[in-house]
Amino acid sequence: MDCHNKSPEVQVGKDTLKFLLMGNPNVGKSVVFSKLTGVEVLAANYTGTTVGYTKGKIRNLKKEGILIDVPGTYGLEATSEAEEVAVSFVKEGADAIICVLDATNLERNLNFALQLKKFDIPMIFVLNLVDVAEQQGVIIDSEALAKELDAPVIPTVAVRNVGLRELITVMEKVGKRQKEVCYTAEKELVEEEETRWKEIGRIVEKVQTLVEREPSFTEKLGYVSMQPWPGIPLAILVLVLVLGFVVGGGKAIRGVLLLPFVYNVYEPAMTAFIGGFITEGTIFYNVLVGDYGVLIKIIEWPFALVLPYITLFYIALSILEDSGYLPRIGVLMDGALRKIGVQGGSIVPFIMGYGCAIPAILGSKAATTHKERVIVASLVSLAVPCTAQTAAFFVLLGDESIWMLVGVYGLSILAMIIGGSVLNRMLPGKVDPMLLEIPNLLKPDVKTVVQKIKIRVKHYLVEAQIPMALGILFAAIIAETGLIHGISDFLSPVVTGWLGLPGEAGLALMLGIVRRELAVLPLLDMNLTSLQIFTGATVALFYLPCLSVLAILIKEFKLKTGLAIAGTTLVAAFLIGGAINQTVRFISSIL
Amino acid sequence: MSLYAIKKEHRCIIENLPKIGLLKSLGLREGINVAIKSKQPMGGPVIVQVGRRCVAIAQDIAKDIQVREVN
Ligand SMILES: Nc1nc2c(ncn2[C@@H]2O[C@H](COP(=O)(O)OP(=O)(O)OP(=O)(O)O)[C@@H](O)[C@H]2O)c(=O)[nH]1
Ligand SMILES: [Mg+2]
Repeated sequence: MDCHNKSPEVQVGKDTLKFLLMGNPNVGKSVVFSKLTGVEVLAANYTGTTVGYTKGKIRNLKKEGILIDVPGTYGLEATSEAEEVAVSFVKEGADAIICVLDATNLERNLNFALQLKKFDIPMIFVLNLVDVAEQQGVIIDSEALAKELDAPVIPTVAVRNVGLRELITVMEKVGKRQKEVCYTAEKELVEEEETRWKEIGRIVEKVQTLVEREPSFTEKLGYVSMQPWPGIPLAILVLVLVLGFVVGGGKAIRGVLLLPFVYNVYEPAMTAFIGGFITEGTIFYNVLVGDYGVLIKIIEWPFALVLPYITLFYIALSILEDSGYLPRIGVLMDGALRKIGVQGGSIVPFIMGYGCAIPAILGSKAATTHKERVIVASLVSLAVPCTAQTAAFFVLLGDESIWMLVGVYGLSILAMIIGGSVLNRMLPGKVDPMLLEIPNLLKPDVKTVVQKIKIRVKHYLVEAQIPMALGILFAAIIAETGLIHGISDFLSPVVTGWLGLPGEAGLALMLGIVRRELAVLPLLDMNLTSLQIFTGATVALFYLPCLSVLAILIKEFKLKTGLAIAGTTLVAAFLIGGAINQTVRFISSIL
Repeated sequence: MSLYAIKKEHRCIIENLPKIGLLKSLGLREGINVAIKSKQPMGGPVIVQVGRRCVAIAQDIAKDIQVREVN
């Protein structure tokens, strides 16, 4: 076998040192990476957070050096797309591998470490999570371990910067390698398994001391949360609390703080200001500050209506992610999820999808079969509203009646069940049975969580604003120039005839191509009936994923599958929305 | 007997397991002592404690793992 195939392209200067950051999943590699390079990558407490690789220049190192954050892997036989990335990196070689070990699970981590050592690349070991190990009564003698591994071992608490300076000191000593790495003896690895585990047993015996400890509160909670009783009621309670926090909190912030500001301060000020230059009533004036005025909507929609919900949702999601609770929900749901062709572990990309579909689709790389990946990506694109759209729903439906909100989310879940079952039957192949490590339940580190929320909110502010602004500008021009009437006439067989919406609602459909929440927000100012609101929301829910999601779908699954997924969502939107409208009208006509 | 047949909170020693690379990488191998920590309804997985960590194993796989009960 050629060991140099399939290597990802890495451009490195001639004298730049290349360090690979490797190890089992969920041991803290991404945290170490962010701290050493200052490059922000997301870390979370479950297997498969990092699915692609990130490169970063190492700060505070006297020489020129780059560090590569590699997805975690249990062994050198790749079992998912994410693990393939990792394996191809070792085969490409590096000047040194920084292998991160989880101090709470030394045995299994050494199994990977000893395999890595065979590649004959200089190694530096980072013994991370020593704080958690200590709480659990696990004491590891890092000096003895260094002797056994014949390489430096640095104990760290990565989230609190403990030990990172020592790590840099050791990294200074690494030199540029000339040798090519070529390791092909994969058969040998299998034969060696027996002896390797014996060796591991011997090392662990020597370096690890266990102290009897009463299980801590988090350990007990970790245990009960994966029992069907009381785990399932607990999961429902968590869901209700999160919803209450996001819906209630968002409504309060926008009602008390943001909307009064926009309507009472910003809008009058802006209108007066523009009025000073441009005569009221002209087209240009209306485009800027009229009904769909860009300068008004560009503040009202993304900041006053959507931002509070986005922030609160990511606060909740980030805490849940770092606690290690999500995989436990996956375990409880596995039996049910398997019926729609996904494993319990895939609950994580679904939950992420309620934030944004892009990380969800990328995260599905951790799935072990392509079939499962396609199912997850399709269902997320079809029926999981992102936070921005959810925020728009809360405003549109929540103000009408809470039951409409429940109805739309019920429809979303129903569509996932039906869609999943159909795809599961239709797509060839089968989905692997679940085999998933359950992480320790941890008290999330406040700084890490705050950092993560910042990254995500910033991402919304930067990435979403340009398409949003263009969309709003486009809407303003169409609406204010009267072009809207031509478009309404053109779309009216579908929009008015089939969906029962006013002609202007065509605007929502056009904007919805750009971003999901824009398929909802224009409906706000149209004085719709309850039925129209519900139909509009349903269409928006299933309607095309936004442009960026479409791009990711095509990139990850090729043009054909990407367009097939998008096309299906479009058809589903019109079919289901229209069916609801026609049925309700029919029933009320005979009553 | 199979791992799936073991009751909650009982321990057993693994005697034979299917050739799934990930099983071994997760630390499940012949001769080790594991404890069942929970069993999920609706054909869901069993949760097994291996060393200091819990692993969820699907029913299909658990049925293929041969064990000897110890208690
Ligand atoms: N208490 C504590 N938590 C840590 C420490 N290091 C990392 N964590 C947490 O452990 C979790 C896993 O960290 P990640 O950096 O995402 O792990 P990873 O190795 O990159 O995982 P994959 O990308 O899935 O392979 C996160 O929730 C971190 O906040 C530590 O030293 N102490
Ligand atoms: Mg990572």
